[in-house]
Amino acid sequence: MRASELFVLVSIIVFIFSLAYITSLGGLGQLPPVNVRLLAQRYLELTWNPLKPFMSSSGYESVTAIVWDFRGLDTFFETAVFYGAIIAAIAIYRGVKISGKGRTTGMSPIARTITRLSTILIPTVAASIALHGHLTPGGGFQAGSVATVIVVLIIMVFGRKALIRKGMTKARILLFRSLGLLGIGFTAVAILLAGTALGLNAYVFQNQPKPFAPLGFPKLYDGMILGGSLLLFNLFEFIAVTAGFTLVLLLLSLGEEEVRGVVEK
Amino acid sequence: MILNAILVYIGEALVAIGVFCDLAASIGIIRFPNFYTRLHAATVGTIGGAVLPLVGVALMALGADWLGNYRFFLAGASIVAGILILLLAPVGSHVLAQAAHRAGLAPREPIAFDHLEEDRRRGGKE
Repeated sequence: MRASELFVLVSIIVFIFSLAYITSLGGLGQLPPVNVRLLAQRYLELTWNPLKPFMSSSGYESVTAIVWDFRGLDTFFETAVFYGAIIAAIAIYRGVKISGKGRTTGMSPIARTITRLSTILIPTVAASIALHGHLTPGGGFQAGSVATVIVVLIIMVFGRKALIRKGMTKARILLFRSLGLLGIGFTAVAILLAGTALGLNAYVFQNQPKPFAPLGFPKLYDGMILGGSLLLFNLFEFIAVTAGFTLVLLLLSLGEEEVRGVVEK
Repeated sequence: MILNAILVYIGEALVAIGVFCDLAASIGIIRFPNFYTRLHAATVGTIGGAVLPLVGVALMALGADWLGNYRFFLAGASIVAGILILLLAPVGSHVLAQAAHRAGLAPREPIAFDHLEEDRRRGGKE
């Protein structure tokens, strides 16, 4: 056995034992107090509970219910931070011309054929993750991340100019992103607006009817679970995340010579 | 009932084959001499070690009556994931091998024959 192999072996053993020692010392802190664990119990109990309609959410999926209903305002601000970062990226690249002119070679025919097939397969999987987000694990952000894979593949296999020639221009992607964000914002205040128009009490981020606030998003349609605002939030987040990631990838794929002229001004 | 049991057994056999493929692939990745042969081992790991077990999981789910309607969700998701990996993984290794060959980054020895090099000398399309 060489000295380097011995060193790797010894370092792994030391790592495992030191991790066990730190854990036994209480280095991970105390266990969460009982009332915090009660909160988790409450989430699990109330995600789908027809016996307590005023307190429960409208889908089977606890994570989506927590993210977009119980703690919807948190997620709203997280989305705002995410789009703040994307807006900063757009601001850095302001004035850069992104054109689809010029020849692109692309990769081998095998890679191109499979990528063409994937342009149908991957967005379908992404849409199923988004539209099922209130029933099964998944949701808008995850679906958007999956859909972005096809953008990466197209940029790698066909070239960025091919993506622009197919109609994914910067202006159009920005439009989709804005549509998604507007949709999220509108869903958050929709019940409040309707309540104000009808002279009823209502809340921001209201999903299901509450005591003294009788309006709410539909929970069921023809025996099918709609998920109320969860479905809408997932759908709009899907659109917004896909467009946001696509935009950043498009900007990152620009060559230095295309950006230099603007940066040096 | 017997049909369900057969489905579960076939599924379990496929998962077992997948375990063998994964083991063989991990030994191959360590033991094979150069980049291209190690890439072959990696593909054994993805097709034999991921697609086959996914098909096996789909069959097992179809055979599991107690899952109710959810067994179709499970089977469908496994089959779709299997098809996606089956399509995408070979293209990934194809593109990797081609890029490494073109850039000359990986040593080609030991080598029996090199069709890509012959094609390129003849000026054919890759």
